[in-house]
Amino acid sequence: DLLQWPQISKCRSPEMETFSCYWTAGNFYNLTAPRIIQLLYKKSNEEDWKECPDYITSGQNSCYFNASYTSVWTPYCVQLASKNELYDKKCFSVDEIVLPDPPVHLNWTLLNTSQTGIHGDIQVRWDPPPTADVRKGWITLEYELQYKEVNETKWKELKPRLSTMVPLYSLKTARDYEIRIRSRQRTSEKFGEFSEILYVSFSQIGIGCDHCTEEVEFPWFLVVVFGVCGLAVTVISIMLSKQPRLKMLIFPPVPVPKIKGIDPDLLKKGKLDEVNSILACHDNYKTQLYNDDLWVEFIELDIEDPDEKNRASDTDRLLSEDHLKSHGCLGVKDDDSGRASCCEPDIPETDFSASDTCDATSDSDQFKKATEKEEDLLCLDRQDDESLPSLANTDPQRQHRNTQAENSHPWAPFADSVESPRPSVHTQISNQNSLTSTDFYAQVSDITPAGRVVLSPGQKSKLGRAQREGCTEQNFTMDNAYFCEADVKKCIAVTSHEENEPHVQEQSYSEDGYFTTESLTTTVANFGASTAEPPSSEMPVADYTSIHIVHSPQGLVLNATALPVPDKEFNVSCGYVSTDQLNKIMP
Amino acid sequence: MSTKGASLKGLLLVVLLVSHMLLTKEGVTSLPICPNGSVNCQLSLEELFDRAVKLSHYIHFLSSEMFNEFDERYAQGRGFIAKAVNSCHTASLTTPEDKEQAQQIHHEDLLNLILGVLRSWNDPLVHLASEVQRIKEAPETILWKAVEIEEQNKRLLEGMEKIVGRVHSGEAGNDIYTPWDGLPSLQLADEDSRLFAFYNLLHCLRRDSHKIDNYLKVLKCRLIHDNNC
Repeated sequence: DLLQWPQISKCRSPEMETFSCYWTAGNFYNLTAPRIIQLLYKKSNEEDWKECPDYITSGQNSCYFNASYTSVWTPYCVQLASKNELYDKKCFSVDEIVLPDPPVHLNWTLLNTSQTGIHGDIQVRWDPPPTADVRKGWITLEYELQYKEVNETKWKELKPRLSTMVPLYSLKTARDYEIRIRSRQRTSEKFGEFSEILYVSFSQIGIGCDHCTEEVEFPWFLVVVFGVCGLAVTVISIMLSKQPRLKMLIFPPVPVPKIKGIDPDLLKKGKLDEVNSILACHDNYKTQLYNDDLWVEFIELDIEDPDEKNRASDTDRLLSEDHLKSHGCLGVKDDDSGRASCCEPDIPETDFSASDTCDATSDSDQFKKATEKEEDLLCLDRQDDESLPSLANTDPQRQHRNTQAENSHPWAPFADSVESPRPSVHTQISNQNSLTSTDFYAQVSDITPAGRVVLSPGQKSKLGRAQREGCTEQNFTMDNAYFCEADVKKCIAVTSHEENEPHVQEQSYSEDGYFTTESLTTTVANFGASTAEPPSSEMPVADYTSIHIVHSPQGLVLNATALPVPDKEFNVSCGYVSTDQLNKIMP
Repeated sequence: MSTKGASLKGLLLVVLLVSHMLLTKEGVTSLPICPNGSVNCQLSLEELFDRAVKLSHYIHFLSSEMFNEFDERYAQGRGFIAKAVNSCHTASLTTPEDKEQAQQIHHEDLLNLILGVLRSWNDPLVHLASEVQRIKEAPETILWKAVEIEEQNKRLLEGMEKIVGRVHSGEAGNDIYTPWDGLPSLQLADEDSRLFAFYNLLHCLRRDSHKIDNYLKVLKCRLIHDNNC
């Protein structure tokens, strides 16, 4: 056995009025001659060590300090010694060693029972330990109650509270319970001893439920099985349900950005020209496409800064010879992007397009001629034919056009028809340099009698401006591939040869961006007038024009595929002129 | 982030404490005590005492925790405990040391004593809050608690002065106050000595806050509940 010295095991004050210290004698005492162990104490403000005043009251190996010896907030030191030998020493103050006695007089009363009689609520009451002077507020106690069923091993605890009563809810009346309580000083952490155990037995007061011995356990298994079955049945019934609304409600379709008729992969690959051609085919596209922002973002137009020359917009790429290779022709490829259904597949390879993926048509030659002849955007708002020649013959324009003949038109004009009866149309606009910064959208520069619309790199036509001033004055921006009917009405052609840079203006985007059927109609009407062909007022211009020929770089020849269309079918909003409509328009 | 953490903890602590206080409201009725002739009895004395007791309990709780944390962090292995039989600077104030004395002292005197102790701690708490920040790698919680204790002590002082104003029937007693001269010890160059000074100060703070808490509870039970808490 190890030699154990006497040690002070603990010092404790139950009520902050007295305290006791306890020690263990150790086996040292047994081995050698019996020695007398003393406990000496000293207050901090005293010099001498004094001996314990009472060795008896607290039991063996203890020292009891009564109220007269106790000063609560005074530091004490006690030491265990015998004669001259010091065994142990401890310093503390009484407020730190408070461990209250257990509560007394535990009892319980029934509050109520459940309807089935299986469960019941009780209220447990007790009294504070008699030694603790709670009434005068000298010590404030907290109580912690623990309870368990008789045959359980683990006690359930309630959180400490100041009151001396606590309800216990939902106890099983068929079982017996044990309750015990302990207390501590409110600001301490250590609890005192537990009280005596209180036994709770419902049968004693006659409400025990003898036949409820079977515990109704929650039928988890059944719940799970039925729940799963029910859910499955519900889901299946919804899925099979013919009611689309219900189905929609429960299983909403995952929204996927879809552009009808467009293969989203094309968008990813950046084949914007193809996308555009597809878009041109679909009548219902105009409203969507005329969401300028969408379109802008989509096509990566830099509308904010038209003056940047370094932008290589898609239109640039389209228009410029150099850059168009990547985009190839605007024609339809033979992939399943939905265009084949409506677009004419025979879009030829254009001059500016170096790709071989498009089919060439014989029209390209015509178009080349047309471009060479500097057929530009026709100002469709002309009042008479003279304006045309005047416009067309403007020298700077002509020169401009000449030099730019090859480059200025993204879209080939309607070479044949335009040429023959009428004066040359204005070249559309910019030189190639400007074309590089032109945007994707083109303006209808001309409409051939055959019903083909000549598109040129967009020049924005300011609504309401050009009518009086004529087309020359209008400033078209190159940002708009397609012009609104409104614009076309006014004056499409323009010479913005002064403008080397297209003005891309966002706000007018919606106005100028698209070539509406209405404008086309008017244009065609004007055109018709100029060509002495009475335009029917109902020249229905299709919303979208299909690209018939891509004549680099002057422009595209668009075929209006559907003609005639009554006026009322025209949409006021900007739209693409389909070839049908154009054909209808064209006399 | 540290201040955020501290303030979050502080907020949580305050919320917990307030909710604890609200949940543990003692349901003992009392007669409101207003001095005769007092026109403005907005808050009853019971209410004032309730608040004072809550504050004092909170301050003692914070002091306890702060001391325990400091003890854990810095005092282990330095033998501070053995030397902890130090007197606090408030020892010169003769406060009741046991229940008998507390029962016998007049409540006005006891209130004055409480005020004296609180005032005596004003200065040390301010310096504690500032000097504890200079302890090497002081934990956030200690820093925050020091500041909080200082604030709450001021509030308790205000509350006590209100109570004294209500309860005092005659002349105001002497201004009891003990100056504190322990600032140099908190700024010692030697880290051991400095930490020991902090240890003592925190120990004294815990003790005195317990004293104040106890005295206030005794007074509350005596004046408000007529010794029948």
